[in-house]
Amino acid sequence: MTRRRRPWTFEADEGGWVVAVAPPERAVLLDVVDEVIELLGGAESVEQQGERAARHPLDAIELDPLPIAPPVDPALRRLLPDASGDPAVAAEFRRLTEADLRTAKATNLTRLRAALAGARTEVVVVPSEAPSIAAALTDVRLVISERLGVRTDEDAEDVYRLASEATSGEPSPRHLLAAVYAVLTQLQESLVGLMLGALPRRSSPRRGGAD
Amino acid sequence: MQTWGRAAHALTSGPVPVAVAVATAVPDQEVRTDEQLETADTWVTIVWNDPVNLMSYVTYVFRTYFGMPQERAERLMRQVHEEGRATVSSGAREQMETDAQAMHRFGLWATVQASGR
Repeated sequence: MTRRRRPWTFEADEGGWVVAVAPPERAVLLDVVDEVIELLGGAESVEQQGERAARHPLDAIELDPLPIAPPVDPALRRLLPDASGDPAVAAEFRRLTEADLRTAKATNLTRLRAALAGARTEVVVVPSEAPSIAAALTDVRLVISERLGVRTDEDAEDVYRLASEATSGEPSPRHLLAAVYAVLTQLQESLVGLMLGALPRRSSPRRGGAD
Repeated sequence: MQTWGRAAHALTSGPVPVAVAVATAVPDQEVRTDEQLETADTWVTIVWNDPVNLMSYVTYVFRTYFGMPQERAERLMRQVHEEGRATVSSGAREQMETDAQAMHRFGLWATVQASGR
């Protein structure tokens, strides 16, 4: 017996939060996720990190990082934004934090990738990994929105409108990208709805990370 | 305190470990100068609006990272959405930088600045 599921909507089920995504659509989403991982400089696996550390003991010692220029690509710059209007403060922040931010984002995206590449007919997100996957969905949407030139809420509405329009024949690349953006929004909205519902009613004051 | 903190910051690669941030957040009256008195503990983290982040997600981030109750998280989220920005935390500069970095991890855009500027 199978349950009929709403399209692009995560629902609570045994073992986590699940959504049915057909293989051809999964392939498109995987491509987009891979592009964002590549944009961030690729994901270094735990094995690769271990190999690097084992190569030479001195390689494992992390030196004071050198200054890094802000990314030229506006999409990458949105993922790794300036943290201050003061150029000196922003540059110092970037020097000290950008490498870690890239790694954290690549790790989140790799988790999203693994969820999309799973063997089941449904994409399964376990609640413990949901914050990481929701963050990755944000990053993919940020990159697509930048490529689509979304600057305002009205621009975003135009993208959703384009995504819902029927096409005769091959959709344009812009139409395809808008459709991917719209499904990622729906996936994230439904996942975050479940995440919010799972939070205790009263939160305790603390600071916690995205992974 | 700020100078000591920045020196410790510069010695580490990547973000300041929480332990260091906590240690430097303890005021040390001995080493404070007037300039440090003016800047210490008076920084803020500002989250900026964008057309991509979902209202529910921003609320989730404020609730889980800052431990805000639902109502406060929603109120701040609406302020970001309607006014274009909202101050989400204030305190020592290093803590604000930690908060901004966390916001960036979540995909929100945040900046730090000395309060009153």
